[in-house]
Amino acid sequence: MKKAIGLALAVLATTVVAASAQGSPKVVQVATAGVNCKSTITLPLVTPVTGGAGFLGAEQGSWAKYAVKTLAPKLGLKVKFVLGDTPVEQGASVAQTIAQKYVGDKSVLAILGPSTSGAVAASSATYGQAKIAHISPSATRTDLTQGTAKEATSAFFRVVPGDYIQGPTDASYMVKTLHVKKVVLLDFQEPYSVGLSDAVEAALKKAGVSTSRLSAPNTTTDYSAYVTKVPSDADIVFFPTQKPGDAQTFAQQLIEQGKKAKVFGGDGSDGPGEFKAAGSYVSNFAPDITGIKADAAIVAGWKKDNPGKTVGSFGPPSYGAAQVAMEAIKLACTQGHGTATRQTVLRNIKKVKINNWILGGQFRWSTKTNDPLNAKFYIFQIQSDGSYKLVG
Amino acid sequence: MDTFIQLTVDGLTIGSVYALIALGYTLVYGVLKLLNFAHGDVFMVGTFIGFGMLQLLGGTSHPVVPVWLLLTLMVAAGMAGCAALGVAIERFAYRPLRDAPRIAPLISALGVSFFLANSMQLLFGAQPRNYDIFTLDNASLYTKGIDIGNVHIALLRVITIVSALVLMILLWFLVNRTRTGKAMRATSYDREAASMMGINIDRVIVFTFVLGSALAGAGGVLQSLRVPTTVAIGFVTGLKGFTAAVIGGIGSIPGAMAGGLLLGFAESYAQGYISTKWSDLIVFSILIAFMIFRPQGLLGRADIRKV
Repeated sequence: MKKAIGLALAVLATTVVAASAQGSPKVVQVATAGVNCKSTITLPLVTPVTGGAGFLGAEQGSWAKYAVKTLAPKLGLKVKFVLGDTPVEQGASVAQTIAQKYVGDKSVLAILGPSTSGAVAASSATYGQAKIAHISPSATRTDLTQGTAKEATSAFFRVVPGDYIQGPTDASYMVKTLHVKKVVLLDFQEPYSVGLSDAVEAALKKAGVSTSRLSAPNTTTDYSAYVTKVPSDADIVFFPTQKPGDAQTFAQQLIEQGKKAKVFGGDGSDGPGEFKAAGSYVSNFAPDITGIKADAAIVAGWKKDNPGKTVGSFGPPSYGAAQVAMEAIKLACTQGHGTATRQTVLRNIKKVKINNWILGGQFRWSTKTNDPLNAKFYIFQIQSDGSYKLVG
Repeated sequence: MDTFIQLTVDGLTIGSVYALIALGYTLVYGVLKLLNFAHGDVFMVGTFIGFGMLQLLGGTSHPVVPVWLLLTLMVAAGMAGCAALGVAIERFAYRPLRDAPRIAPLISALGVSFFLANSMQLLFGAQPRNYDIFTLDNASLYTKGIDIGNVHIALLRVITIVSALVLMILLWFLVNRTRTGKAMRATSYDREAASMMGINIDRVIVFTFVLGSALAGAGGVLQSLRVPTTVAIGFVTGLKGFTAAVIGGIGSIPGAMAGGLLLGFAESYAQGYISTKWSDLIVFSILIAFMIFRPQGLLGRADIRKV
């Protein structure tokens, strides 16, 4: 009996300790703790640095780092840029671990990312509780910012439009331009691809297109059996992977099995060095910024820092997210007379307006949601030399 | 019928690669009773060695040798490089722990696995490597092949399956028809007694690692001819190879071959006929079923203990 009581007390004590560690007082303390704006502020980018989507972290990291290097001195800030790795293969738990690490770091006033929708859904509550603004350059799942059951907190922002635009844009292009009759959609059992496939499928069905759905684990490397299930009269396979090399494999295996369907990838499939199957399509939230005159100096500077690298579509929004974060920190510093808190930074995010936005035009936030105003998706077709041509 | 043939070919292709990996697990387990969890990462290193050799020989767009020689050299390089790596792993990570409790080399194996994955990432980065065989010789390895009804079996698949089968037959011959194989079998049966009979145990163990790792290297190159590789590929593929070894009966060479093929077919048919969504669940359920109802695997021996 004594043992049982002892055990019960031990469990109770453990629960109390655990609950107090989880509870908010300490978090609130950090959220309201002021950071001297002359001290070094840490700005992390949470993105997949390793794993099959490691290219994403490499590209986003190089652009965010360049933004910190060039913009922070102009704003009178000392910013240390760091990377937090969330490999897509390891699921949501990694994002949560990283969130706890940054919440505990007092020099962190805002976060860039998480880059993937799954990582945002897994960690937004932790950032939200700590009043840390987290600004994603690439998470597009609609439910993160919209709808009745939002998956992210009000501290989450994204500088690119979501699947609520990408889904209908892609579907509309398939229906109106490609005149499709039958489409196969494949998801990868994680929030990004499931959400985007849902959005595209709904729009296609509304337009009377015949659809069927396949689902592959995120660790799949060989798609032969999935290709076997693609009907020979299917026009398009919608393939919203976060690993462009897999889109290339799928396109090759379609040809191998004599299927006429073309691959249509989402923004996660955009990777000119890896996905280069001629005739395939990808959609993305960013245009090719090398064609924007106002960005010439930025592109040149980035290329100087990253010799031999090509400008992709994922990098520039990361530059934009870093710019928004640092502008908000600057506003908070001004309001706080040289001191900024996580709360004041968070309050200032939506006050940021950028006239020469890296993706072209002006950047402003929507008044209704934490999404950008008037942003759109672009559709590219892959040419025989592997280049991406803007077609929609 | 077309779907069945296609799925069978798919299963045979992927199953033969699983079998090559499973053989590495089973060989090492058979001789050392060690689960070499670094084996999946040796496979991964093999995929990168193949890629390196391909680049050295001009890549797929401008190969400096004929296609058949290019593929042969890539597989040979993968095998040789992985064999050398296997020797190094055995020498530095397992040999010092040979007489330690069984948990010690197991932990060492996990350490080697992380070491290989992370050092490869440090050296080569996280971005995927695509052999891009599609651009080789105007995609002839995809467009040429065998047609059965409406099903086209690409030459690349034929090469993968035949190469894996040839390697398995060679291994079977080596283990069952040569003196070295006899020494391996003796060491597996009773290491101490084999030593007393004059067998050089160290040499046998090193040779076992050479064989197992070389097969993983071959499997790595053969798989990467069709799908891209990353430094993270070793974990999942290694897990599948290990599952195949357990299903076949770990320690049994024909069992590893059968387990690999069974796993490949199960994966392919599950994706084709049941659900693409639940294929991994189905595959690992088979593993659980084996663990419950036939723990010694398909062709393994039941462990009889004297009490």
